[in-house]
Amino acid sequence: MGEPYVHPEVLVSADWVQEHAKDPKVRIVESDEDVLLYDMGHVPGAVKIDWQGDLQDQLVRDYINAEKFAAICNRTGIANDTTVVFYGDKSNWWACYAFWAFKLFGHKDCRVMNGGRKLWIDQKRPTTTEVPHYPTTDYKVAGANEASIRAFRDDVLVHSKAGKALLDVRSPKEFTGEKLHMEDYPQEGALRGGHIPGAKNVPWSRAVNEDGTFKSADELKAIYEQEIGLKTQDDVVAYCRIGERSSLTWFVLTYLLGYPKVRNYDGSWCEWGNLVRAPIAKGA
Amino acid sequence: MPAALDAIVAELSEADKQERIELLIDFAKNLPPLPERLAAHKDAAHRVEECQSPVFLFVEVDGDRAEIHADAPIEAPTVRGFVSILVEGLNGASVEDILSVRNDLIDRLGLPEILGMLRVRGLNGVLHRLKADLVRAVNARADGDSTSAPNP
Repeated sequence: MGEPYVHPEVLVSADWVQEHAKDPKVRIVESDEDVLLYDMGHVPGAVKIDWQGDLQDQLVRDYINAEKFAAICNRTGIANDTTVVFYGDKSNWWACYAFWAFKLFGHKDCRVMNGGRKLWIDQKRPTTTEVPHYPTTDYKVAGANEASIRAFRDDVLVHSKAGKALLDVRSPKEFTGEKLHMEDYPQEGALRGGHIPGAKNVPWSRAVNEDGTFKSADELKAIYEQEIGLKTQDDVVAYCRIGERSSLTWFVLTYLLGYPKVRNYDGSWCEWGNLVRAPIAKGA
Repeated sequence: MPAALDAIVAELSEADKQERIELLIDFAKNLPPLPERLAAHKDAAHRVEECQSPVFLFVEVDGDRAEIHADAPIEAPTVRGFVSILVEGLNGASVEDILSVRNDLIDRLGLPEILGMLRVRGLNGVLHRLKADLVRAVNARADGDSTSAPNP
């Protein structure tokens, strides 16, 4: 047996979810890259919260405000003391993103179902297309937790100049600047390629196994500590292209390895690579 | 625009949001499997790079008709559904008709409304790629090469 995760309670198994399917204090939330997946069949009792349609403001590039967040919770039957368990496709990318967004609004009890949608389906656990309805709640947003887990571009510039820990979790080709998703992704595109000076490249996917579960604490430490040189007390900022992949890395560092100071820069490369005079490093 | 695609546009654009989601899922489920001769050629040359999920397109020309086959994983039902719409709507249509399909097809299918703007970007890439492959196939024929499909 290796070392346990620092906050093992945030990770629940598929068995746990199945046992708590009817627990009124638990709400299962599916959050996917592919928005059709929920409607094709989901964990019985699960509600859908879409990172794009629900959690992002449709006008300004930002998250929804507290009022809209409360409305989502009320609609999905989430109260302030509900245990919210996120799961989704792509090894829980979007589940972690939704988890992070819930933490921005200070929701207390958030968890992730290890293995996500893929493992649930692979293990042939039950799914349904039935959309559940829960009694409306009266959610009171606890208050912003933003400063401790979200970094903005000015913070990142200071952070980079100070030589503090900065993780770029995109693919190696995006990191070196060789690859840019320009022509067909104009809204996600950046005008310049490369990375933020001082950033180290640790693709997000290194934190997960083939079956979608998270790697063990020992394996994670081998990557983030032995290889990259992070230390528990480091002030860490993680980014990717729009902040989704880096929310998984944020989750891993914060909860599985217990780093107290990790922020996600959700502006990420789509903001940085378009900023006039923002410093950029190219190559490996 | 080919009549078959026209009919799909009419069906989807008249559906409400939930019906549209279900129709797209039906398309994803009903994408015919690749013919055996093509299934062995799911390689980089036929992969649509713009899509994060592995999407494979095969465009061949026979006379002035185009033959279109495609594959995408069921775990990515959005792109698989869209690819299925293209196969059903365009397979067997004339080259000219396919090239006349307007690039705002995704808007006319009402997909941004159910998918959000960020998600439809990759889908646009599939349509662009299909047209580019078609032009290449036509040119290859004109150059005396009988087919652009992979020769086993």
